[in-house]
Amino acid sequence: MMALPFVLLVLTSLAVALGLRQLSIWIWVAALAATVYAFHLHATGALHLAL
Amino acid sequence: MSLLARGLNVVALAAVIGVLIVLLWFQFARGELPCALCLVQRAAFIAAGLGFLLNVRFGSSESHYGIVIVSAMGGAAVAGRQVLLHIATSSRLSGPVVFGVHFETWALIAFCTIVLFCGAMLFVESQFVEGVRDVRPHALAQYASWLFVVIALGYAVSALLVCGVGVCAENPTGYQLPWK
Repeated sequence: MMALPFVLLVLTSLAVALGLRQLSIWIWVAALAATVYAFHLHATGALHLAL
Repeated sequence: MSLLARGLNVVALAAVIGVLIVLLWFQFARGELPCALCLVQRAAFIAAGLGFLLNVRFGSSESHYGIVIVSAMGGAAVAGRQVLLHIATSSRLSGPVVFGVHFETWALIAFCTIVLFCGAMLFVESQFVEGVRDVRPHALAQYASWLFVVIALGYAVSALLVCGVGVCAENPTGYQLPWK
């Protein structure tokens, strides 16, 4: 699960390297969403503290 | 794109790449495994660096700076959360200390610096005159792009090894190797 944002960021950087600007921005949006979700999963679980 | 703006974007991109490489060095050479919040901050660094990379590769755009700012603010929020957790609980979920300051505090400082840098760069209106373009990129931009791909791939593998496919452990102590 935590690897998903990084996988999407790899795809984003790949799109930039290939010159696909618009596609890279859309994949970045997906990566941002995945990162927020990953943070949600891990923000409190480690210490069992409520947000 | 004005020469000054291009140069500053290259410097900013190099700084982000430097941070990412140093973090990888700490992980693999010093055995400092990243906690879950640390991994989220690393993703934020990569995302912010992508904004600078877009500026270097395609030319300056307000949307590229927007990508950097949103990513950096997200990273600052996570770093700030980790700092507060460390203060409130004296938990072990804190990064290594460098020059007397924990990693998460350095990350918070770095993210705030990135946001301030973007705010200052947005005053340089001459860099937006040409607009974005997809012409044959400068060799530096190409090298930086592919270097970023390699670094991002390294982080993806690292995250997979540290956390596996599920939720990360509270305080990772080893890698989730497939043959274990």
